[in-house]
Order: sequence, then C-alpha cells, then structure tokens
Amino acid sequence: MENTVVKIDNLVKRYGELVALDHFSLEIKEGEVFGLLGPNGSGKTTTINCLLSLLSFDKGSIEIFGKKMTPVSYDIKKEIGVIMQNVIVSEELNVYENIDYFCGLYITDKKLRKQYVEEAIKFVGLEDFTKFYPKKLSGGLLRRLNIACGIAHKPKLIILDEPTVAVDPQSRNKILEGIQELNRNGVTIIYTSHYMEEIEQICTRIAIMDKGRKVAEGTKDELKRMIKNTETISVEVLGLGEDILTEIRTLPHVYDVKYDEKLLVISCSGGKHNLIRILDVLQKREVGFGRVYSELPTLNEVFLEITGKALRDKEE
Amino acid sequence: MFLHNFLYEIKSSLRVRDLLFWLILFPIILGTFFKIAFGDLYEKQTTVSTIPTAIVETKENETFRSVVESMSETDEPLLSAEYLTEEEALKKLKAGDVKGVIYTGEKITLTVSGDGVEQSVLKLFIEQYMIREKIITDAVANDPTKIPAVIAALSEEISTSEEEPLTKGNTDFYIQYFYNLIAMVAMYGSITGLHIAIGQQANLSELGARKNCSPTPKSIGILASLTGTWVVQSVCMLICVSFTAFVLKVDYGDRLPFVYIAAICGGIIGVSFGFFIGSIGKMKQGAKVGICMTVSMVMCFLSGLMAGNMKPIMAEKAPWFNNINPAALVTDSISALNLYSDYEVFTKKIIVMLIESALFYVLGLLLVRRRKYASL
Repeated sequence: MENTVVKIDNLVKRYGELVALDHFSLEIKEGEVFGLLGPNGSGKTTTINCLLSLLSFDKGSIEIFGKKMTPVSYDIKKEIGVIMQNVIVSEELNVYENIDYFCGLYITDKKLRKQYVEEAIKFVGLEDFTKFYPKKLSGGLLRRLNIACGIAHKPKLIILDEPTVAVDPQSRNKILEGIQELNRNGVTIIYTSHYMEEIEQICTRIAIMDKGRKVAEGTKDELKRMIKNTETISVEVLGLGEDILTEIRTLPHVYDVKYDEKLLVISCSGGKHNLIRILDVLQKREVGFGRVYSELPTLNEVFLEITGKALRDKEE
Repeated sequence: MFLHNFLYEIKSSLRVRDLLFWLILFPIILGTFFKIAFGDLYEKQTTVSTIPTAIVETKENETFRSVVESMSETDEPLLSAEYLTEEEALKKLKAGDVKGVIYTGEKITLTVSGDGVEQSVLKLFIEQYMIREKIITDAVANDPTKIPAVIAALSEEISTSEEEPLTKGNTDFYIQYFYNLIAMVAMYGSITGLHIAIGQQANLSELGARKNCSPTPKSIGILASLTGTWVVQSVCMLICVSFTAFVLKVDYGDRLPFVYIAAICGGIIGVSFGFFIGSIGKMKQGAKVGICMTVSMVMCFLSGLMAGNMKPIMAEKAPWFNNINPAALVTDSISALNLYSDYEVFTKKIIVMLIESALFYVLGLLLVRRRKYASL
C-alpha cells in the first residue's frame, strides 16, 4: 500500500472577512505528481504556504510524512524541496554559489554537498553558466536556476508553485521533462499551476480549486468523466439547412449543436460512434464537407462546467 | 550551518556595490573633502604667530604689566605689546596694525577688530588672567597665609609658555569632523543590519520565506548573517580610519588602536540598530530604508556631522541624548582618547555602545522570533 506523504485535513484560512481556504482537505500518496489546478486567487499558493508552515491557519491540520507539520519540524523540512512562484536567488552570488548556498541550508557535509550541487547543475542543464550571475541569465535559465536551488539537496517531496510562469516554451518543456524525471526517481511532486496543459501533461492526480475550496479531485480521466461533455465534433461545412441541423440534434448523445454558416460544432455526452452517425446524416443529405475533427474535453472544460467560469483569465 | 551562512553573508555583502560605495568609497571621498576644506584652517591654527596688541593703561596695574612682559619675552612670544594712548591704540586697531586693545582700568577689558583666531586667543588670554586674579583676590580675603603658595603656583603656570596637554592627542576643533565621519560610516551599517532582518522574515521578503522553508533554524540564520555583517562592517570601519590616518594624515593622537576599537564598536551598534529597525512592523523595505537613513542622519547631525557646534548645543539642551545617541557615542569615545589621560570615559562610552548593540539585537530578535505569519 502506498504511503501518504501529505495529509491536509479540513483546513480553514481567513484573511479578515475573506475565506482563502474553506475546509480544504487533501491526501497525496508517495510517488504521485499531484496537480493543484485553479485560477489566480483560488487558494493554491495559500495552501502551499500553509503546508510549508509559513502561514498560520484558523482550523484544520497538516501532516507530512505522517508527522504534524510545524515551523520547527526541521526533520520534515529537510526532506522538502521548494520552488516558489518567483525566482528567489541572490543577485550577488553566481549560479554555482546560489545552488551551493541553498543546498547548504539542508546539507552540512561539504563533500556531499559539492556532489549534489554538481548533479543539480547537470540536471537543469546549467553546466555552461556556473559562473554567471543571475542578472546575466535569461528568464528560462533563471527558472532553471530556481529549480536547481530547490532540488539540489535531493528531497523526497518537491513543491513547485507555478514554476513556469513567464517561461518560453522550450524552457517550459525542459522544466516539465525534469519534473517527470524527478518523479521517475521516486520523488513525490506537488505542482500548482493555472496552465491546464501542464497539469494534464505531468500530473497523475489533480485537485481543482476555486474560491479556496476543492471542487473536484481525481485522475485526468476521472475528472473528464465528471462532466457532461465527452466529445466535441467539428465539421467545416457550408449552407446547412435548419432541417439538417434538427436531424443532427435528434441523434443519440448529442446535447448541443452550434452552426455559424461555416463550422458545425456538435457537443456529445457519452456514447460511441458519434462521429460516424453525424457524417452518415451529412452523406445521406448529400452535403459536401471539409475538415472534420473530434476533440476530447480538456481540463478547462471540466473547470468551466464545474465552476461555471473559465480557468484562465482572458488576458492570460 | 552557522559557518555556511556566515561565509555566504560575507561573500554576498562584499559584492553589493551600493554597500561598498556608501561604506568605503563615500567616506574616502568625504574625508578627502574634509581634509581639503579644513586642512588649511588646521595648519593656520597650529602656527599662531605673535599677536600685536595695544595696551591702554587707564589705571596702572603692575601685576598685569609683569604678566604681559612674561608673555612677550619668551622664545616664541604670544604677545607683542606696546603701551599707547587710547586714540593711538584705536587708530592702529582700525589700520589693522594691532589685533586688539587691552584696557587696564578697574577691570581689564579688551576691544578687538574682528573674530579671527588671534582675536580669540587674546580673549582667552584675558579670561585666563582674570580667573587667576580672582583666585588671588579670594585668597587675600579668605586666608592670607596661603597667598605665597597660590602666587607661586599661578606664577609657575603662567610662566609656562606652552600648555602641557593631558594627552598626546589632537584636540583641534576640525578633527571633530573626522570623528563624525567615522560615526557616519558606523551608522551606514544600519542599512546592512536592516537587510538582515528583512531577509530573514517570510512576511517581508521572498528570500525570507524561502529560508524559512529550510531546516536551518531562524536564530542560527540571523546570528550567522549578523556576525558576517559585523565582520564586513568592521573591515569598512578599519578602512575608513586607516585611510584618514595614513593617507589623509589626520592626527588621531598616539592611541590609534583604540580609535580602531571605537570605530569597530560603532560599526556593531550601527548594524544592530538597523537590524532592530528592520524587525519592526511590516512596512515595505523602501520605507524601512528611508526611516533608517533618516534616523541615522539625524543622529549624525546631532553629533555634529553637518554643524560642528551641534554637539555642545545638545550637551546643553538635552545632555542625556549625547549619552545614548550612537553617533555621539562614537565621536565622544574617540574624543575622550584625546582629551583624557586615562581610559575611563573611553571605556564608559564603549560599554554603553556594546550595551545598546546588545539591546537592539535582543529587541530585534524578539520581534522576528515569530515563525508563522498571518499573511505573507
């Protein structure tokens, strides 16, 4: 049976009148890549700060590695790697020194620390930049440095709070690959983001948060099964009559049909062979069509349906 | 963990350009400026030549005449006196041929044409004479048997052409500006202390939050960082004193090692003061830096950095303040080395500085001891 690494029970955190965490509970097992997904202000970072014992909370309890987490739980802290939302490094230290400094807060053995620092540098691909100062690094390289500072001491649990914000796609992929590699090496990961693609790509289990509450939890497939939409079929077609649209609406599992004179979008709920049935109708009516594609629901749609709002703000 | 934090604190501090400017370069620039501005005055003051003086005898005063003679007949005479009528004397005073006119009537009075160094020396000479005259007059009235002993003692003192200093130190007025420069560098240390406090608190800085996630206890982190900063600050203080003493040739007297001690203690109190300010409240870093700089500058101002006569004014209006003002403690401790033959006042000032440092440190620690925050 898998061990529980993190157990959050009924956590309540208030900032005056605002309830930042509303009876939030969570259990994360060893070896998981657990995703905390939610829009800005949903309570992801507050959860992480409570978990790290930086923030006090009004109610509830937190256990890590089976022990109650407190600010003086140094034995627990030793096993946790933290990568904060913003890059936190010293401007006065170069890449090597920064990693060595943070690693030294955890590892006292100088020889072992040297080995760990070198491994972390290699892991994030900063071998050619060890003598560089942070201000000389690009945004992507800075993020990699931030990650190296958080993982160099080889923790058993790594908490990443939106580590890819403002990172170029290439660096983002490198970071995500690195996280997956860490997980393959047995590290439990907690990953917060409002980028659903990242969460879908790397997380084995996901909790969706909104207004300080956990609104859904499960694997990607479990979450997608929670919503009505299971498939969205799009067909490029011109000049469809209302009679054809009505016939399509009556097909089994079809619950929504939209047409804008160029593109027909059909939302289906469950069932199989939905696409074949739709194309069959068009062929029988001798309607010519262009490209056809079928999409499975995304976490954004899951979030949209559960909370009634989009996961990302428009500007994002 | 202590050593790790300590070494990295030193390494980081030595790479902060702003810090190096304000703690090393700026004092060098300001010290050089002081030397250029006051050096000439200093030279003049140390080589006061014989002062041409007119004496108008409205009533004969044998004692005064003999004192003037004695002051005029040494190898390096203080006075070059000539006895004139009032009209002649005033004419010469107006023409600048004499620096002052002394009237020897019922009371000895002095008329001078300006407020230069020579005029000041004349005033001092008259004041000293009158004090001694009063001592003898009092002795005649109270205990005539002691008159010979009193006259002998005063005659011996007056006949000494040079004042015998209590120490081999420099009591020049302008050297106070260099003492204040040292005090200012010490107080600049408050900015580094302030950054230590901010850098350790999760609710004030991201770095503080990150450090609080690690298994290094906060107390060790703070102590290591403060110790590192004290070391860096001390080095800056040593550079400041050494530059002024050896490059600018500022005369600190024959107790230079003790000047170093005073400067180092000043640096410690500066850092501790900043740490205390940084630990108060949840204000933004910029606001705290502003408060720290303002308070430090006010302390330096009140100890005489911008206005040399400020310290005596404070000593008169609020004497207690000079005894607790860190900047004044630094300047006073160095002054004490040049004014007193023993180390009593110096030691007292150093002890007060160390007590205040400890107080700031403990108060700061009490304020940052909290480990969990209501908000970040």
